[in-house]
Amino acid sequence: MSVMEKFAKAIPLVNPWIKNWKNEGKKVLGYFCTYIPDEIIFAADILPVRIRAMGVVDTPMGDAYLTDTSCSFTRCCLELANRKQYEFLDGIVSCNSCDQIRRLYDNLRYKAPFSFHHFLSTPGVVNEITTNWFKNELIKFKEVLENNFGVNITDDKLRSAIKIYNETRTLLKELFMLRKHEAPPITGTEIMNVLTAAVSIPREQFNELLIQELKEISSREGVISHKARIMLVGSMLDDPEYVKIIEDLGGLIVADALCLGTRFFWDLVDESSDPLEALAERYLSRVSCPRMTGEQPTRMKYTLDLINEFDINGVIIQRMKFCPLWWGEIFMLRRKLKELNIPFLELEREYVLSGTGAMKTRVQTFIEILEAR
Amino acid sequence: MIKLDEELYNKYVKLGRGNWGRGYNLLKTMYLGYLQLIKDEEFTPVVELSINVFLEIFKARRNETPIIMYPFNFGPEIFHAMDITPLMQEMFSVGLAPSHLNEIYLDFTNKVGYGDNPTLCNAQRPLIGAYMQDSAPIPDLLFFLSTPCNPLSISYQVFQQLTGVPSFNIDIPYWAYNEVSEFYDEKTMRYIIDQLKSLISWLEKQTKQKLNPDKFQQTMLWLNEAREYALEFNELLKTVPCPADSVAGYTNTICMATRGGTYDAVKGTKFLRDTAAENVKNGIGGIPDEKIRIAWPYTHVFFDYGLFPWLEREFNAVTILDLIGFYQPLPQDISTNEKCFESLAKGTLDFPMIGTCRGPIEYYIDFVINYVKDYKVDCVIFPMQFACKHAYLMTRVTSEAVREETGVPTLIFGVDPYDSREVTSDAIRGKISEFLTQIVL
Repeated sequence: MSVMEKFAKAIPLVNPWIKNWKNEGKKVLGYFCTYIPDEIIFAADILPVRIRAMGVVDTPMGDAYLTDTSCSFTRCCLELANRKQYEFLDGIVSCNSCDQIRRLYDNLRYKAPFSFHHFLSTPGVVNEITTNWFKNELIKFKEVLENNFGVNITDDKLRSAIKIYNETRTLLKELFMLRKHEAPPITGTEIMNVLTAAVSIPREQFNELLIQELKEISSREGVISHKARIMLVGSMLDDPEYVKIIEDLGGLIVADALCLGTRFFWDLVDESSDPLEALAERYLSRVSCPRMTGEQPTRMKYTLDLINEFDINGVIIQRMKFCPLWWGEIFMLRRKLKELNIPFLELEREYVLSGTGAMKTRVQTFIEILEAR
Repeated sequence: MIKLDEELYNKYVKLGRGNWGRGYNLLKTMYLGYLQLIKDEEFTPVVELSINVFLEIFKARRNETPIIMYPFNFGPEIFHAMDITPLMQEMFSVGLAPSHLNEIYLDFTNKVGYGDNPTLCNAQRPLIGAYMQDSAPIPDLLFFLSTPCNPLSISYQVFQQLTGVPSFNIDIPYWAYNEVSEFYDEKTMRYIIDQLKSLISWLEKQTKQKLNPDKFQQTMLWLNEAREYALEFNELLKTVPCPADSVAGYTNTICMATRGGTYDAVKGTKFLRDTAAENVKNGIGGIPDEKIRIAWPYTHVFFDYGLFPWLEREFNAVTILDLIGFYQPLPQDISTNEKCFESLAKGTLDFPMIGTCRGPIEYYIDFVINYVKDYKVDCVIFPMQFACKHAYLMTRVTSEAVREETGVPTLIFGVDPYDSREVTSDAIRGKISEFLTQIVL
């Protein structure tokens, strides 16, 4: 079995690594957002797993409590929780990523509770005052984990977790940089598999696999069959199948600005300073998502830099339906891309893959336009 | 009682004469429209306050003094204390909604691809459409908060990016400052105080003028006095029959949200308090023959100003609570400079919609349940805006909690308070009518 095939095994909600972890009598915590420093959970010898909601067909419970005009990811999560599909989790950690995630947390507590809930009041503004506040939130989080799960999270354990997580980030960046090649040795679909695994299996094991993967692909022939080099931008996306649709039509995804993408691993945590301070600093100051006010110019520059560095032919902007933050962000990005004459395609989507026929038609047309340029 | 007669009307028309400046002529139109609307009506301190909101903006443009745009859920006291004229952005969308003129801008935002009704709140979206048609007032400074909602914070960011106006943001925390709350965090108060002080430093830098301690003290005194009246007014609403009509509470908040920290707000809130107190003394209700007391824990349906009068007329139903119209910040000890900041911080954290919606759902549930009990409410109507995810997504659980705890019936329906075409007046009235006749009565 190739390493990539192993990574693909991490995609189901409950994967073999989670089963093994649980079989060892250890705890698993689900978390909702990349603004939650999962190093702290890992330092408690608890497996942090990013909550996904694959495989939901209908969402009657979600529609009723979260309304049918809320984002389908939150509706799917509530649905799965109600159907006891998250029973492998020993609790959840959430934050005010966005209004809908914040209220999902409330609805989960009332309608499909877990045995442990914790919320991080995560600032939407970056400065010294807010960073100190966030550090305090992390101190409280650490103490809550210690008290609830009877563990002792020492500074050494935190430093060790930070080191392991930084290694992940460095390895992912190394993998990502290979996509700069004219014939990248890895597809966007494969990258999405890798990243899904990163947030679903123990990090040490993930890092070992990723090192192997980097060795394996060093001898691999690059992808040359593509018609265009595409950058994928937008709101929460964790479905490799979505990426595969684009790549099957000839658009190779070689860069992204996604939350389960580069934004997740781009910045390192400072290993030389106080661990919780370093985590607070890194998580608030990292390449942001539109929840962070005042940071749009930095995000724009980041996206444009990647477009240049990775020789992008066109940008596909995907936006989850009913997501206000990304609509605003995309509005600004769209204006800039137009100004710079960079082709882009905007796709609205639901969390669960649907309407693929229309999507294929639009992507195909877009790629034809790119080819003709 | 003085009336806005021909002479007074002409005086105020004259005061508004002249070029208000690029983008501000829309406000001038609103000002003149407002005068027309209230002509021959009583010239109350609230009317005077509303007129001053407009005239102060015009004065600032004429004198080239700074104007700051800010959202409806923040008290403008600091701005008044620093002689910076506040321009509440939402007066634009709310003010244009009854005449449906905001819908022109909504259509334009749809056309240029800035959101849709179920996703982005139309309290802010028209501003973007107006800007792109060169009709929006462009302030000198921009201020906004990270809560209560994402549409607000993203639309203000978009506006900032489009205009390049310098902006300052405050992060609103999730946790409570009150020690008795299960969500208490001892750092909450300090967090807001520090950010408010940063706001002042930023304003000083932008305007090149220092905060005058005497003026600040006077502002705080007026703020406290107005809060005292607002508190008394809120208490008076508990009386049966309710001594005010369905929009008086909203007017109370408007006084504080537009002119908080000025003598105008003192006069406005005192007027509302006095009127309610007089009615209580005389056993008079704000509406004739009160039969139903409604809690309405969301905003008004702004495009339909006839909705509450219709409820009053058809069902003898008084809407005692609306989410914006219950001004909660209390008078505080302001004996020291630090205490003044504590007072401002509490005002920020408790401001309508911020206090109930910035944190866990319990803030909202407790607010509604306590209100139902304290104000002897007969039913709760949740007219929820589709795009208002932070509020709409609490409604079902809250509604269940209210029914369980109080036995009071509830109605939930989706609406767009700013766009009459999304759910029409007739449809709204149909739902309410059915609920009141078949369940409440």
